[in-house]
Amino acid sequence: MNKKSSKISTSNENYSHLELVNLGKIFFKEKKFIDFRSKGNRSGFEAIKDINLKIEKNTFVSIIGPSGCGKSTLLNLIAGLQAPTSGKIIIDGQAIKGPGPDRGVIFQNYALMPWLTTIQNIEFALNTVFPAKTNADVKERARKYLRMVGLEKASNKFPKELSGGMKQRVAIARALSINPNMLLMDEPFGALDALTRSYLQDELLSIWRKNKVTVVLITHSIEEALLLSDKIVLMSSGPSAIISEEISVDLERPRDREKIEQDPTYLKIKMRLEKHLLRETRAVEEVT
Amino acid sequence: MNKAISTRLTFVVAILSLLIFIILWQVIAQQGLLVKNFPGSFKTIGSLIWWVSDPFFDNGPNDLGIGTNLLISLRRVLIGYSLAVLVAIPLGVLMGMSKLAQSSLNPYVQLLKPVSPLAWLPVGLFVFRNSEITGIFVIFITSIWPTLINTAFGVASINPDYLRVSKSLGASKSITIRRVILPAIMPNILAGMRISMGTAWLVIVAAEMLLGTGIGYFIWNEWNNLSLENIFVAIIIIGFTGFILDQFFGFLQDKFDYSI
Repeated sequence: MNKKSSKISTSNENYSHLELVNLGKIFFKEKKFIDFRSKGNRSGFEAIKDINLKIEKNTFVSIIGPSGCGKSTLLNLIAGLQAPTSGKIIIDGQAIKGPGPDRGVIFQNYALMPWLTTIQNIEFALNTVFPAKTNADVKERARKYLRMVGLEKASNKFPKELSGGMKQRVAIARALSINPNMLLMDEPFGALDALTRSYLQDELLSIWRKNKVTVVLITHSIEEALLLSDKIVLMSSGPSAIISEEISVDLERPRDREKIEQDPTYLKIKMRLEKHLLRETRAVEEVT
Repeated sequence: MNKAISTRLTFVVAILSLLIFIILWQVIAQQGLLVKNFPGSFKTIGSLIWWVSDPFFDNGPNDLGIGTNLLISLRRVLIGYSLAVLVAIPLGVLMGMSKLAQSSLNPYVQLLKPVSPLAWLPVGLFVFRNSEITGIFVIFITSIWPTLINTAFGVASINPDYLRVSKSLGASKSITIRRVILPAIMPNILAGMRISMGTAWLVIVAAEMLLGTGIGYFIWNEWNNLSLENIFVAIIIIGFTGFILDQFFGFLQDKFDYSI
């Protein structure tokens, strides 16, 4: 399958953009000197196992599960930041070998470089991904994406001068500036207050509508998942977490934050998610 | 309290305490309360004025102006220190990034760090047969450890988020080092450089007593002349210079302070 051409072809509705096949990750303990002589199999912590998932192009998918279930591990694997212990990650028909600019990653703690201004943070990403681009090109493009998240005026400010919400908007601009096919978000709004969170959720939806990308969002908020997603993937409690359910969210878009809460479909799914999360959380809490 | 008033009060208190100190010193010396012939503060201040009013004369190696001697010491420190920093930063980055480098170099660092740099003086004299180069060599050894250790620690404890961003963008190792790791550990490097400079300035005085010329040798020479007031002059000048050097690094550290 051709990797480049897939960027243009979006006609095939069931085109699977991202495919996880029997994916598993075990974290092995670091070998100590004393272990060198001991044979036998190394013991480790199995975070996730046998993850099979297909995500269609330009859809919005949320992964939800109790805390410590390996959601972030799963995202790191898709981002290529960690290598899986078993299984494959297939993007556009090809197994990935590591990180790449086809995937933009957004972290919970924004991960902006504090020694760079807002615009320099975006320029760093652009210079890294497109080393051939001229400085003027890079600057223009960085400015365009800052404008997109409404922060053009803050372009010469340092991260410490920005609020949490503004920082995350810069991080979103940075992730999108490299023109990825996929946006991977690890609890991006988890550290924000409720009002800022709602604002950024709406912002994200409008950005997603304009820049067609596949989004994989890790969250522990049921409401957030329901408001944003086409599909919600439920994970079981860890260790050895698996996907316990996939739920399609057949709610019309654009979704209105207030109206959606009256929708019977919304309420039905919400109840189901709550039940699941409660059960899985209980499993975590009552083990110890 | 009003800030302007409190600043002025601090200033007045400082001047007052200095005056009291000078008077006490003079009285104690004049009365011979400590030892006989101990120079008083007035005599010392007179000497200080004499030395500072013509700092750069040169009547042969045993009779140099205090400014000339100070510049000689500063030159030795600056050369040895700069060479040390040029070695310590790349080596520290290497040690912070690679487990192999860390485990193979760390034993030497831990073993050599606690040794007084003056122990290297005979080694330097034997190898270089030149007191100037030996002085620079001793300062090099002195300055290398704090910067090296701080740099390695900075790299090892760098915020993993920065590295993950860099990795997720597919940045090469060289870009990651130059554009992420080095700026991120700038505060650690500067803290190390500040300690290195402080130690180098301490050590040069002792080293020069054995090397000839420089502010340390000046002290040794004045001891041979039994001129304690001139030694006090040197102590004041050494202290003042060290203070200025330290303040310079303090200023740099403020510039590179990324915290909120």
